[in-house]
Parts: sequence; structure tokens; C-alpha cells
Amino acid sequence: MDAEAAKYIGAGIACLGMGGAGIGLGTIFGNYLAGALRNPSAADGQFGRLIFGFAVTEALGIFSLLIALLALFG
Amino acid sequence: MAADHGDSEGQPGKTGGQSARDNGLENRLRQLDEKLASRRTAEQEKEAAWARNNKSGWANAVRLSSEFVAAVIVGVAIGWVLDKWAGTSPWGLIVFLLLGFAAGVVNVMRATGQMAEFGQQGGGTGDREK
Amino acid sequence: MRDAAPAITGLRDVADPNKVDPIHQFHINKLIDLQIGGLDFSFTNSALFMVIVVVLTGAFLVLTTSSRGLVPSRMQSVSEMAYEFVANMLRDAAGTHGMKFFPLVFSIFMFVLVANLIGLFPYFFTVTSHIIVTFALAMLVILTVVIYGFMKHGLKFLKLFVPSGVPGLLMPLVVAIEIVSFLSRPVSLSVRLFANMLAGHITLKVFAGFVVSLGAMGGIGFAGAILPLFMAVALTGLELLVAFLQAYVFAVLTCMYLNDALHPSH
Repeated sequence: MDAEAAKYIGAGIACLGMGGAGIGLGTIFGNYLAGALRNPSAADGQFGRLIFGFAVTEALGIFSLLIALLALFG
Repeated sequence: MAADHGDSEGQPGKTGGQSARDNGLENRLRQLDEKLASRRTAEQEKEAAWARNNKSGWANAVRLSSEFVAAVIVGVAIGWVLDKWAGTSPWGLIVFLLLGFAAGVVNVMRATGQMAEFGQQGGGTGDREK
Repeated sequence: MRDAAPAITGLRDVADPNKVDPIHQFHINKLIDLQIGGLDFSFTNSALFMVIVVVLTGAFLVLTTSSRGLVPSRMQSVSEMAYEFVANMLRDAAGTHGMKFFPLVFSIFMFVLVANLIGLFPYFFTVTSHIIVTFALAMLVILTVVIYGFMKHGLKFLKLFVPSGVPGLLMPLVVAIEIVSFLSRPVSLSVRLFANMLAGHITLKVFAGFVVSLGAMGGIGFAGAILPLFMAVALTGLELLVAFLQAYVFAVLTCMYLNDALHPSH
């Protein structure tokens, strides 16, 4: 296989990891929304933790994006 | 009876005259208060309307995601250019992508009002980097 | 209403429903070919609509305020409302000191607003749906902020990147994050406007395309075309709102960034 082609395929496979982050973010925001609808008065106070969870989850997605970028440009 | 009546009428009349002046002042004060209050509520309403407008789902979603994605893109761009320029590949890309990610989270927190604007305390930033 | 459908789609070739191309509206055509020193200075349809926007805005403002009366006429009140709106926005965000930037903010607001609104007409070109245009506008704002900030405050302007109350060890990290965050501003500012206009116009055109292709089927398709037709009408209303909202957001963020230049350390 051409090395160039393998590079692109590798970058594409690395991006699959972003899907995991997507699932995680969906879980986080979905559960936040479910909790917020049960107890709307507590929702605003937990927004900071929502952002924290978002940051930690998205960080793992960013790692796979990093690998993809490294495969492409590194 | 008549004097009594007159007195009783005069006293209220006197106090009425005094209180009329007081009333005039009070009235004006009250009017001023009312005016201020109405103006204040009008402004508050305007702000509330703005906040409501601001929270219209689609606009807010685009705003937040563009804030986040833009920071990541800028981080990657800086890292890539730095690598090209200084030949530090791949470290520039790695470091600046992570910095861009952190900046994106900071941007989102700023946009949602979780964090102070530029130039004020930014205690939360360090924790987020982990 | 049915006659309006092809007009909304902006299709040249209504008879052939396979030719529905939602991207076609964004093509840039050279109207006058012009090369100066190897650079392409051609007058394109994008440039034409920029000129139209500027001329329209300028003519409207000049004509409505030329015969200004103490009791404003209808059109004069429109101009005055636009002025008051931007002036209040700027004063709220950047204080009275910010009023020296009023011409800039007002020009940007009116340009973006009128460009967005004009783009809603069938067959018209939307200037703000190209990222290079919005990016140029955003860079204009950011460069104004940076240059004015350095002129006014000198090196103290760099305090913008140094939040107070951060332990010394974390300082380099935080400063780097702040710098990247600052640099991401023009990108997010331009991407937001561009993405909104692009996505809105493509959605509008896709739904209008449904009307055409369903209507061409005749019979049941004709009846089925009513649904996307209503959708297209509703989306046009939504697009009007988005056009105004995005111009407003662009101007508000411009005011906020200018505020940073005026008062770097609050």
C-alpha cells in the first residue's frame, strides 16, 4: 500500500475515537437535562460541573483528534 | 360648638396646609421614585428580554460550539506553523492543540457566564488544563 | 404562492428537477476581469453586492436624514432607531469612552445587517456567506482592538492576558491559554456569522428544491409539495430573524472586544 494512502486511512481510523467522546458527551448532557427537568431549581448550580464533565470527556476526544492530526501533518 | 367645629376644622386645616407642603414634597419624591422604578424595570425587562433572546436554542448552540471549535482550530494552526517554522515537529502541534482545547473550554465558560471576562480572576483555568 | 416557489429556489432550470443544486447560489462569477500586477482584482458578483449594500445603506441614511424634522417622518425614525440601537449597545458595553468607535461599530452593524437581509431576496448573492468576507470584518475589529490597545496603554495592554490571583507556577500556562483564547476570537466571530448564513441559505434552498422536485411529479407529488412549501415560508421568516440576530451578535461582540482595548485591566 502506498504510504500516503496508509496515512490517510490511519487518520480516519484515529478519528473513530471522537465517536466515543461524542457518546460520552451525549450521556453527560442528556443526564444533565434529565436531572435539570426533575429539579430545575438545582440546575444552575450544577452547570459548572456540567462544563467540567464536558471538558474531561472532550479531552479524550481531543487526544484522538491529536493522533489524527499527527498522522496527517506530523 | 361652632368654635369647636371651627377649631376642629382649623386644626386639620393647619396641619393640612403643612402636610400639604409635605405632601407636595412627598408626592414629588414618590413620583421620582416611581419614575426611577419604572425606568429601572424597563431596563431590567430589556435585559431579561435580551437574555431570553440570547438563550434561543439555535443561536446559543452555534455560539458555544463555534467558540470551542475556533479555539481548537487556532491552537492547531499555531502549533502547525510553529512546527514548520522551528522544526519542532510534532511537539508544537501537541502542545498547542491541548492549549487550544483549554482555551476553548475557557471560551465556553466565558460565553455561559461561568467565568469572569478577560483581565479578571481566572482561578478555574489551571484546574481545567488537567 | 406556487409561482413563488421557483423564484425562491433561484433555479435557472426549473424544468429539470435533477439540477437542484443548493450550493450554486454561493458561486463567485467574475463580472469584469481585471488583473493588476499578477493579482486578481476582478470585479465579481460578490463585490457587486458589497457595492450595492454600501450604496443602499448610504443612500437610505442620507436621504432619510437630509430633510430632518423635529418630528421625524417614518423613514427618519428608522434611521434614528438604528442609530439609537447601536449607540445604546456601545454605551452599555464599552462606556462613554467607547463612543469614539461609534462610526466603526455602526458601519459594521449596518453592513452586516443589510448584507444579510439583501441575501434573502431570490437570485441575490449573500456576501456574508463567504468566510473570507466575515473573516476580513473580524480581523478589522481585532486589529482595531490590538492597535488601539497598544497605542493607548502601551505594554500595559498585555495585562489583558494576565489574570490576577493565579499562583506563579501556573502563570505561564494560564497566559498561554489566554493568548490562544484571544486569538480564537476573530475565528469564532467570523465562523459564527458565516456558518449561520451558509446553513440557513442551504436549508432554505433544499426545502425549496423539494417543492420543485415534488411539484414536477404532478398528482400526489403536487399535494405533497405543500408541506415543504410551508416549511420554506416558515424558514424565510426564521432567516429574517437570524439575519438580524447575527448582525446584532456581531456588533455586540465587537463592542465587548473594544471594551477590552479601552479598559484592559478592569
